[in-house]
Amino acid sequence: MAGEQPADGAAVGYRDRFAWLDSSLLWLGTSSVAVVVLSLFVQVSFGTYTMSITEAWSALLDADVWYDERVLVSFLLGEELMRTVLFVPDGDALPDLATNTNIVWNVRLPRVIVGALVGANLAVSGAIFQAVTRNELASPYILGVSSGAGLAILLTLVVFSGMTALLPVTAALGGTVAFLVVYAIAWKGGTSPVRLVLAGIIVATICTSLQTALYLFAEDISTVQSAVAWTTGSLTGADWGDVRLVFPWTVIALTLAVASSRQLNVLLLGERTAGALGMPVERVRFALSSVAILAAAASIAVAGIVGFVGLIVPHVVRTIVGSDHKRLIVGCLFVGPALLVSADVGARLGMQVLFDSPNQLPVGILTGLIGGPYFLYLMRKRQHLGDL
Amino acid sequence: MTGLALTLRRLLRNGAAEATRAATDRPDGLPRWDGVDREGDAAGSDEPSRLIGEDLELGYPGTEEPVVEVDRLDLPAGEVTALVGPNGSGKSTLLKALARQLEPDAGDVYLDGSDLETFGNKAFARRVGLLSQEHESPGSLSAEELVYYGRYPYRGFFDAVDDADRAAVERAIDLAGVDHLRDEPVGDLSGGQKQLVWIAMILAQEPEVLLLDEPTTYLDLHHQLRVMEVVETLNEERGVTVGVVLHDIAQAARHADNLVALEDGSVYDWGPPDEVVTDDLLEEVFGVVATVGYGENGPTIMPHRPIEE
Repeated sequence: MAGEQPADGAAVGYRDRFAWLDSSLLWLGTSSVAVVVLSLFVQVSFGTYTMSITEAWSALLDADVWYDERVLVSFLLGEELMRTVLFVPDGDALPDLATNTNIVWNVRLPRVIVGALVGANLAVSGAIFQAVTRNELASPYILGVSSGAGLAILLTLVVFSGMTALLPVTAALGGTVAFLVVYAIAWKGGTSPVRLVLAGIIVATICTSLQTALYLFAEDISTVQSAVAWTTGSLTGADWGDVRLVFPWTVIALTLAVASSRQLNVLLLGERTAGALGMPVERVRFALSSVAILAAAASIAVAGIVGFVGLIVPHVVRTIVGSDHKRLIVGCLFVGPALLVSADVGARLGMQVLFDSPNQLPVGILTGLIGGPYFLYLMRKRQHLGDL
Repeated sequence: MTGLALTLRRLLRNGAAEATRAATDRPDGLPRWDGVDREGDAAGSDEPSRLIGEDLELGYPGTEEPVVEVDRLDLPAGEVTALVGPNGSGKSTLLKALARQLEPDAGDVYLDGSDLETFGNKAFARRVGLLSQEHESPGSLSAEELVYYGRYPYRGFFDAVDDADRAAVERAIDLAGVDHLRDEPVGDLSGGQKQLVWIAMILAQEPEVLLLDEPTTYLDLHHQLRVMEVVETLNEERGVTVGVVLHDIAQAARHADNLVALEDGSVYDWGPPDEVVTDDLLEEVFGVVATVGYGENGPTIMPHRPIEE
């Protein structure tokens, strides 16, 4: 038998680096990209500022942007950094863009990009938390992140109103601090999924109470509206600055997430088995949670607390590609943006189409409206929902 | 069994184990199990012990008193040692300590003479495999994919599967006899088939010591025998040292070279089955009146009735 091994080894050679890239994942990726592109088309073409579709698309293809690397690079890096990188002197002004171009490039396009990044972050973060807590109903916010961020948002808007400009940072920080508190509460010579979730509930209960109390101290309605937008999640006003803020963290978090997919798989075999296979379970669990928190905090910083994306996207992907985490996380990278960007079409244009009103909805309301019925469907269709 | 004889035998054994421990301190004194097959050597007590527990006190967070207190426990190299005892006697707890899953409150466990704490996580997993009672398999995973996780301790963070991994997985699948199941989703397998696939996963770890926590509980008779057959094959052909918690003392008597009988967290008796399994043991430890007979493969047990408490 031993003599046959090399031949057998060669026969299973299909298990090479890309064996995980199967047809269901390819199909999922392609259709998600199609949804994002379609949503981009709609978002760029329509809006409160009236221009025809042709005008919108010629603005998108404006030569002033495409043939001037200074303009493109200043979108991506910010004007100051662009001047440093491309050695453009301060006196050398950038060209004034036409109004249409300005609106398409500075208002409509970055919003889609921010939406895609936020969607990917939330979906991957949710996938990680579902594995770490071994609970299918876990979301990026399960370990206190949303309530910590929400409290920080209210504190910044109501109590420290001078620091409103720092809101993205304080929100992300609030979420991270809450997560660390949750971990500290859950720790008793080690943690367990159940202890973590319970500690998350404790911290969330307290933070939410304080947050609600702070609403009563808000002095004017605009502060309240702003707080609601942040705590339900909104992409209104997303610009290139937000893209630059969220992009580096997204790259770091998502790269780490894909690289740790094997750890996630082994963790799912049960703590004891993972430990017996030589995994330092506590350390890996904390590291994976940190990656997920990084992704969640990055998305909170630019979009506030968008619900349901991190909860349902991993579900959808798991149903299609199975429970292997490499496939699952890569799938989430595509489906997350597809869901968030398409929901944002409704959030941005829905009121205009339905009621001819220029108001926009927070995108979190739309994801909730999509997410609720999807869960109802799952609950009716499946016997077991909950344990992973 | 008189107390004196028991003490004497323990003293003798401890002395022998003590003497041979020095010899096993050398870096790697024993053959790797994927290497040369060992001769079918007679299970003798002169073998050095691979795993030794000394002055162990084991407990769980929240328990005041230790659950298990054991002065000395040996898993002799190349032998099958079964831990037996009634529910709550601490046999699984003891196994956890041997597998480094539970840190002793006091005392130490040595693998080939080195304290368990000196091993890295993965280095330990390459030498000692554990089949715990708890295993949870994501349903859509195929049996083969599960077996590949046994290679976890051999792979770095970014390493892809290499030829050594494939060869080890093939060997493990072959040894556990689960070739026909390899593409089946683990969630669709029967309890017995699952257990064999899990054993294959641990075999892919290529451990020198295999620890199993009640591997046959809840399995149908066919699969109980299959599991024990795999364990015996490994032990006989590869020289793997086995420590196994068994619920069924008759099964333990049939398959093990040594029995360790536990009662209320301490060792009641230990030694070869035909010495340990007695009417007294069954009465005092297991609380049953039974007749012990002598069969071809060790003592047989015919239980009659429980003892009134």
